[in-house]
Amino acid sequence: MPTRKRNSARNRSRAGTVASVLAGTLLMSGCGPADGTETLTWYINPDAGGQADIAERCTEEAGGAYRIETSLLPSDAASQREQLARRLAAGDSSLDIMSLDPPFIPELAEPGFLAPVPDDVAESTTQNVVEGALAGATWKDELVTIPFWANTQILWYRKSVAEAAGLDMSKPVTWDQLMDVAAEQDKYLGVQGAQAESMTVWVNALVESGGESIIVDPEAPSDEIELALQSPAGLEAARIVSTIGKDGLGGPGLATQNENTSMINFQGDNGSFMVNWPFVWPATNGAVEAGTLDAGLIEDIGWGLYPQVAEGEDSAPPLGGINLGVGAASDNPELAYEAIECIVSPENQAEYFVTNGNPPANTEAYEDPKIEEAFPMADTIRQSLEQSAPRPQTPFYNEVSTGIQQTWAPPASVDPEGTPEESTEFIISVLRGEQLL
Amino acid sequence: MTSTRSKVLWGIVSVLVAVYALFPVASILATSFKAPSDLTNQKFLPSPGQATTGNYEQILVGDAQGLFLTALRNSIGICLIATFIAVVLATLCAYAIARLDFPGKKLVLTTALAVSIFPVISIVTPLFNLWRSIGLYDTWPGLIIPYLSLTLPISIWTLAAFFRQIPWELEQAAQVDGATTWQAFRKAIVPLAAPGVFTTAIIAFFIAWNDFVYGISLTSTEAARPVPAALAFFTGASQFEEPTGAISAAAIIVTIPVVVLVLAFQRQIVSGLTQGAVKG
Amino acid sequence: MTSAIPARPVSPDLEQDTTPGVGPGGPSDKKAAAQYSDRVRAERRLGWMLAGPAFIVMLAVTLYPILQAIYESLFQFRLTAPGEREFIGLGNYLVILTDNVWWKDLGVTLLITVITVAIELVLGFALALVMHKALKAVRGPLRTAILVPYGIITVVSAFAWFYAFDINSGYVNSWFAWLPGIDSDLNWFAQGPTALFVIMASEIWKTTPFISLLLLAGLAQVPDELTEAAKVDGATWWEQMRKVIIPNMKAAIMVAVLFRALDAFRIFDNVFIMTNGAYGTEVLSLLAYRQSISRLEIGLGSAVSVLLFLCVLIICFIAIKLFKVDLAGAQGGK
Repeated sequence: MPTRKRNSARNRSRAGTVASVLAGTLLMSGCGPADGTETLTWYINPDAGGQADIAERCTEEAGGAYRIETSLLPSDAASQREQLARRLAAGDSSLDIMSLDPPFIPELAEPGFLAPVPDDVAESTTQNVVEGALAGATWKDELVTIPFWANTQILWYRKSVAEAAGLDMSKPVTWDQLMDVAAEQDKYLGVQGAQAESMTVWVNALVESGGESIIVDPEAPSDEIELALQSPAGLEAARIVSTIGKDGLGGPGLATQNENTSMINFQGDNGSFMVNWPFVWPATNGAVEAGTLDAGLIEDIGWGLYPQVAEGEDSAPPLGGINLGVGAASDNPELAYEAIECIVSPENQAEYFVTNGNPPANTEAYEDPKIEEAFPMADTIRQSLEQSAPRPQTPFYNEVSTGIQQTWAPPASVDPEGTPEESTEFIISVLRGEQLL
Repeated sequence: MTSTRSKVLWGIVSVLVAVYALFPVASILATSFKAPSDLTNQKFLPSPGQATTGNYEQILVGDAQGLFLTALRNSIGICLIATFIAVVLATLCAYAIARLDFPGKKLVLTTALAVSIFPVISIVTPLFNLWRSIGLYDTWPGLIIPYLSLTLPISIWTLAAFFRQIPWELEQAAQVDGATTWQAFRKAIVPLAAPGVFTTAIIAFFIAWNDFVYGISLTSTEAARPVPAALAFFTGASQFEEPTGAISAAAIIVTIPVVVLVLAFQRQIVSGLTQGAVKG
Repeated sequence: MTSAIPARPVSPDLEQDTTPGVGPGGPSDKKAAAQYSDRVRAERRLGWMLAGPAFIVMLAVTLYPILQAIYESLFQFRLTAPGEREFIGLGNYLVILTDNVWWKDLGVTLLITVITVAIELVLGFALALVMHKALKAVRGPLRTAILVPYGIITVVSAFAWFYAFDINSGYVNSWFAWLPGIDSDLNWFAQGPTALFVIMASEIWKTTPFISLLLLAGLAQVPDELTEAAKVDGATWWEQMRKVIIPNMKAAIMVAVLFRALDAFRIFDNVFIMTNGAYGTEVLSLLAYRQSISRLEIGLGSAVSVLLFLCVLIICFIAIKLFKVDLAGAQGGK
């Protein structure tokens, strides 16, 4: 609390000064507090308070070298990016540490908005980090951010439904198997069909599982980008999305279904299989404790790796999470990286997983016994992370993602032959500046 | 038409109007007492025995306290200041329009009209860039100034209409009776003008209180973020869970001042609104 | 918080400045022409001194940004690619106006505008009649009830309606399951027509009180004698409405419609909260928001903003020229 007050007081006094002296203030506002301890501002995405706790711990550990103040970003990734991009573009020196959603990192790295990662920090913070998370932290072969936590979707299922259908869940299953079971048993298949980022997450995972990437050459300039949506993998992805939509396998709410609502349906009577992030576990346990869900439900929930597109070929589960970046205009980039080294320590990552449900990017953290206790599926998550593939790494991610969302949602409108082509043409013409988004 | 019959008829009509006006409020009020896992009960009310004040606790004393209470403070402070400035400026302006003859009177009124129909979204981006470069971004003045563009025009129009109706002869009459100009103004005019000014203030406050676009675009921290924007910052227990309960509870809390003002001043607000817009 | 405070700032000016030149309503003095013109000049100066600050503030907050937007709209400029800023003249406008998205969004926006204003007009008129005719005892409670939607935050209204209709948390489907076409499987926000229905319902609920108050003012101006005379002549209720009441409130109706239409045309909050433009519910304000704020394409976004502004001006122009809505006149003009 006191940190917030200080922060707002500083901002307000800045505004007051500006009214009288326009130019001078911009220089003054960067000054640290009088006691000599440098203050680092960490822009965090909203969570259950875990990042603020870590900030406190690291401030203590620093022994006066720096103090970390947290500042909250909006709750959805697109608004977070917008806030940060605007402030970075304006050269705001208060952006010391930022919690960044990996897909938007190239966009910030390309124009040089991020301070370079010192070699020793890169060395010490990337050991044992899962490959997907590392890929998401890299732009043009250079590490531009530090992986903090990594998220991945796994397959959640109701044991009773799998049993009734006679499905052997000890082995990886395919989308076709799941679709068949859902149709036979008249249950809902839990996927995210809303016109939102979750749609891109799904399509990307399907295309990647089929062995292709949505963008052929992610580093190409906007007018030369090529998409692989019309490849066999893209067509197969369209077939799966379309079938689930047209056959009503996702339930009546599919077209507006996000991660939360698909979990709610999964918990209900029609739940069968669902691809979703690990938050499902603490949320379901919480509801059972609150008494709104039947206690037997927990026993009925099983988990496995993200479904395969082609039998026998490892799936490429979605990858999410947060990386930490440092603003290029920060007054204290070295100190900020020092603080990041503390933040991403395996102990902090493990603690964060247990308290906030966000899985570590560092495999070492999974050895913490607390994790196994809180998340019995930790091993699956870890394996899923190792198999996972990031979403397209391009400075034009927003265009690509929004383009996919607009052409692939609602799932029932997807035409297995036409949609990949339509989607490709739309995205390409937006990227060339010939069309609005 | 017997009077009992008309009373019954009016009773029914009033109930219908009240249901129309209050139902959505009641709806979100009921939602605000639902526990997170009870949100999907598909009923109007929380399930029996499940009603909880947890959502209010979350935003008033719990996790979201810092977010919500600072936003509430910002909203109240910013809106009061914006209202005050708008009313002061509009009072001067409307007085001139109602009582004085000067060229450009019509220009002022037309400008007020043009500003009030301005698409807010059109000026948000340029304002953002300007505020960034002069340091007004994410500050109280950074919102108060654009709020003036919302509150000033309607204040000018409303007050001008009010002032036109004031029988200014009273002032002269009082002066003839030996009062000084100031006394005449204070005794004869202020009592007539004050209700109009006050009504205008309430209307202006409502408008500023309602803003969303400026709020989300021109702030970035607790330093200035107002309530409607803060609603978009609530989160559930994790990134993907929806903060329906917290939003509903916050929605109810920010609606309380509106209801109180309306209850206390319905007559003035109605006359203010009806006189401001159309006067034959 | 007392009602006297806002009024006070008027007084010093009055005291100092109005004393010499009595004021337009004052007794006409038959002094020399020179003195007369002095008085006129003093009055003009005072007029601008009083009206000037408000005038300048209004211009400063809107004129500068719109000029800036016009300037930016001539560039291809993406915030995250500052090095590639390039002057392209009217290129952005060409892209927008040749794109279906613009015309589709314009259509949706116009549809919302027309439908909401039409329904609000009818509903608002009914409410105005109710308030006008209401017994003294219920007048206060009625006014209070009607003002609640007026004062409520649009975002709050949007959430209230959204939660009520949402397929997972809403109760509307189970309440109205007896209606054909509504059952527990109806996903209101999955297709344009039903989503727009909810969006418009929220918009109508929130803004009908405003229009009804404007109409109430108009209603109050219809001379009672006219209605009485018609009644004596044996006119039915409907004839009274059509022949006496409505013609006499034409100005009020026009102003109410214009104000609301311009407001509805800028609809943003409801759509943003409920669907964020998905499934054919995107409106122009949201299009501008997406280009300049989500995509950070400042040039393209500014061009959409300018076009949006032009649309508003055109509507206003048509209303004033074609339908002769005299706003200044309605205000009491001179």
